[in-house]
Amino acid sequence: VLVLVRSPLPRLRALLQRCWGRLERGLWPGVFGGQSPPWGPALAVQGPALVPQGINDAGESSAEAPSLLESIVWMAAPKQRRTIEVNRCRRRNPRKLIEIKRNIDVCPECGNLKQKHVLCGYCYAKVKEETRLIRMEIHKKEGGPFNAPTVETVVLYEGEKPTEEDEGKRIIERARKRPSWFVQN
Amino acid sequence: MRLSVVAAISHGRVYRRLGLGPRSRLDLLRNLVTALVRHERIETPWARADEMRGYAERLIDYAKRGDKDERAMRMADFWLTEKDLIHKLFKVLAPRFQPHPGSYTRLLQIPNRDGLDRAKMAVIELKGNPLPPLVRPRRASDKTLLNQLLKGYRQDAQQAAAS
Repeated sequence: VLVLVRSPLPRLRALLQRCWGRLERGLWPGVFGGQSPPWGPALAVQGPALVPQGINDAGESSAEAPSLLESIVWMAAPKQRRTIEVNRCRRRNPRKLIEIKRNIDVCPECGNLKQKHVLCGYCYAKVKEETRLIRMEIHKKEGGPFNAPTVETVVLYEGEKPTEEDEGKRIIERARKRPSWFVQN
Repeated sequence: MRLSVVAAISHGRVYRRLGLGPRSRLDLLRNLVTALVRHERIETPWARADEMRGYAERLIDYAKRGDKDERAMRMADFWLTEKDLIHKLFKVLAPRFQPHPGSYTRLLQIPNRDGLDRAKMAVIELKGNPLPPLVRPRRASDKTLLNQLLKGYRQDAQQAAAS
């Protein structure tokens, strides 16, 4: 049974192929720490089989110790414990504290707090609720989906008559007194 | 002069990356434009509203050409997914904005969303919509403390100059 596994990322596959090629050709120093890659014979001896023992032992022992030292990757480590005073200076430096906001003001309509460049949350919630009720009335009038009208719309509250400007507009009635903040044009 | 495009640097790029890709970004913006034309006021994340604003205003500019224009009709057909809104665009919005030279939308920031993401939200609306106004224009009144003090100071200065 032949199982074909296709890697989902062609770029990753190309990268892996390139890395493997470099490893095979020995063009990637530092991966095996200066030693030869592990897929060849560990000791390939060419020449006479009988070699003087002393020279061999000296060569091998001298070769092993420096290779161990070379293969370790040196990394930085702190030399001294940082005292709590130094730590406090670093942690409580003004650049690390939370910035205080100086753009908070009082909404002139309702008196709640608001940011200067943002709408007041309370006033917006009021307007949002009223628009929701108006949209419910519109939905009732339209009846179904995709019935957008081809004329303008005007919202009238209790006891209001359409003016001359409202000629030909669709009228949406709301069964309550007009709120003070919704000025009729 | 740099002639190649570097993918990691985005200096001078104006369009945001929204959604799952370029097609998805256009679909997102198309849905938002359709919703804006239908409801005339929508509440969405600020980045999406800002992206969508340019497209909505250009669509209205196309609609002002009139519905006999072939390009205008094709644009409206692409951008409005609900086809009854094409009639609304050409018959209601185009005449409403005919006297205005530009800027048919208003973008205002709202307090951050209540959910876990606390996203920066905005409300975008077409000007001249029939819904209640979001912001009440304030006129400077003479009865505020600062204005009264300034008036008193001006009177004192005039008396000092007269005498």
